[in-house]
Amino acid sequence: MDEKMSIMIVDDEMIIRESFIHWFRKYGHRVEAAASGSEALEKLEKTAFDLLFVDIKMPGMDGIELLERIKEEYPDTIVVIITAYGSIDTAVKAMKLGATDYLLKPFKPEQVTLVMQKVAQQRALVSQCRYLRDRIEEMTRFDNIIGQSPKMEEIFRLIPEVAQSNSSILIVGETGTGKELIAKAIHAKSPRANGPFVAINCGALPDTLLESELFGYRKGAFTGAVSGRKGYLDIVSGGTLFLDEIGEISPKMQVDLLRVLEEKKITRIGDRHPIDVDFRLISATRRNLEKAVAQGNFREDFYYRINVIMIRVPPLRERKEDIPLLVQHFLQKYSRETAKRVDHIDREAMEILKRYDWPGNVRELENAIERAVVLSKSRTLGSESFSFLAAPQPLEVKRRSLREVERRYIEKVLEECGWNVTRAAEVLDINRVTLHKMIKRYGLQRPS
Amino acid sequence: MNEKPIRVGVVPIGNLDGIFAKTVAAHLLGYFHLQVDILSPMGHPDYAFDPGRRQFDAGLILKALGKRPFRNSQKVIGIVDVDLFVPILTHVFGEAEQGGRHALVSLHRLRKREDGAPAPLSQLLERTAKVALHETGHLFDLLHCREKRCVMHFSGSLRDLDQTPLFLCKYCSLYLRDAFKRASRP
Repeated sequence: MDEKMSIMIVDDEMIIRESFIHWFRKYGHRVEAAASGSEALEKLEKTAFDLLFVDIKMPGMDGIELLERIKEEYPDTIVVIITAYGSIDTAVKAMKLGATDYLLKPFKPEQVTLVMQKVAQQRALVSQCRYLRDRIEEMTRFDNIIGQSPKMEEIFRLIPEVAQSNSSILIVGETGTGKELIAKAIHAKSPRANGPFVAINCGALPDTLLESELFGYRKGAFTGAVSGRKGYLDIVSGGTLFLDEIGEISPKMQVDLLRVLEEKKITRIGDRHPIDVDFRLISATRRNLEKAVAQGNFREDFYYRINVIMIRVPPLRERKEDIPLLVQHFLQKYSRETAKRVDHIDREAMEILKRYDWPGNVRELENAIERAVVLSKSRTLGSESFSFLAAPQPLEVKRRSLREVERRYIEKVLEECGWNVTRAAEVLDINRVTLHKMIKRYGLQRPS
Repeated sequence: MNEKPIRVGVVPIGNLDGIFAKTVAAHLLGYFHLQVDILSPMGHPDYAFDPGRRQFDAGLILKALGKRPFRNSQKVIGIVDVDLFVPILTHVFGEAEQGGRHALVSLHRLRKREDGAPAPLSQLLERTAKVALHETGHLFDLLHCREKRCVMHFSGSLRDLDQTPLFLCKYCSLYLRDAFKRASRP
């Protein structure tokens, strides 16, 4: 009975209550008593108790009913049932309802000590679980955004703050930095969390398609519109619209969206009646839109409309202290996914990862870990798993032709797979015949 | 400021051999440095007998002790040879009013070995002394101690009691010293 607890005794017999109080005070616990179930509930409303000893046989609300109410309203409170009218049935019922233990009056002093030890262990487990859950939540506070660096901490601090407003947010950062994850986190923390989150990659859609996707269309609005369709601006009502690569949209679409943002109404293509819409816009870009505005390549009024709040996501090279945490996270993820026990990384390999510049940011790191886990034959990733990172540096790659990069990459994978064509084809995600053709095309030869 | 010495009275209850009171007194003096008086005995506690449990209610005996004046004793420890209980527990080796004036030590369960055979007198006396020191600790508001090597550690069984030492751990010693200071203030 090491830990001091706050205990309540619920028993209609005064002598039992006094006896309990006296006994537990000798251990330094804070003890209170209630003569009935309703008195106990009243006390629970005012004060938090760690542990309740509840007698089964009481006039009015009996102990089993009280146990049910406690477990419903205060699930963390530990309840030990006490009774002088014990039966296996009541014991089973009490335990099924969530009682931690069951004691028959009178108890041997050691029994009380054992129960208290059990309760202390349960409390320790609960608090340990809570600590670990908080810790995980702290580390991966917003979905899968992982980081402990000051720059990421600043973003974690910002997310709940900006989530509460309805202002448009622009997330700026290089490819692979996790802009969409941040957008999702803002949505999840916002009052719109129960509404939809719709993400559209503006860079991936031609202008006409983007327009019909966003605004929807009426039946017969254009050739092929055999039935009408709701647009995402309509579907997203009550939620958050995430427009990725907003820097890529056409000047016409900028005007259309500006109007939507100002009027909160849309008109479907081919329709004349505007529909009210209610969404929060989060945009993202890897481009420098300020520069684009200055050069006249992006509308200034639209830029200021989408950029009420700006969040800059740092590239991985500016938060290298997060690399070990990210590596551990991806190791666990891919060990689980591939059912391979690759859960360690040696110091040398970690140094390589920390030295590398990561032009593809977190996404590139994730791909590197996935590849290393797939190819690894041991539980620990060593420097050889990341030798491909030490070779062509990104700037160098940019200066080479795509053909040359492809040739070198295929050669590297073949070397790593010991020129086992089947395995290399698996890694490259192409079939063996194609790989053979490429080997021939590039004149690759197995070293003698 | 002159400090008043703390006097503890030891009261045999029922027909008891004088050795038990003397043992308790010697240990309170030796381990806790208290001034101890062996007081005149009280009668057998028939009034505290519970026919349902066939045991004696420790609370009622403590109440009876409380009715006697014991003018020269700040704390009073009764020694009794009956089986004591408190309502929630099957038995107790002793009982004390936490931070209060009266405590009890029962010899009844201390007399046996674990296998049921009678315990040798030396073991019985040592157990009696331990229970008395433990209950005296409670009278000076000491709580049960988590340290196994401390007389304030709770012993639910004779095995536990036999493993408990006669002395206090360093923290309980400090608490007791402070409690003595408070109790000595005129």
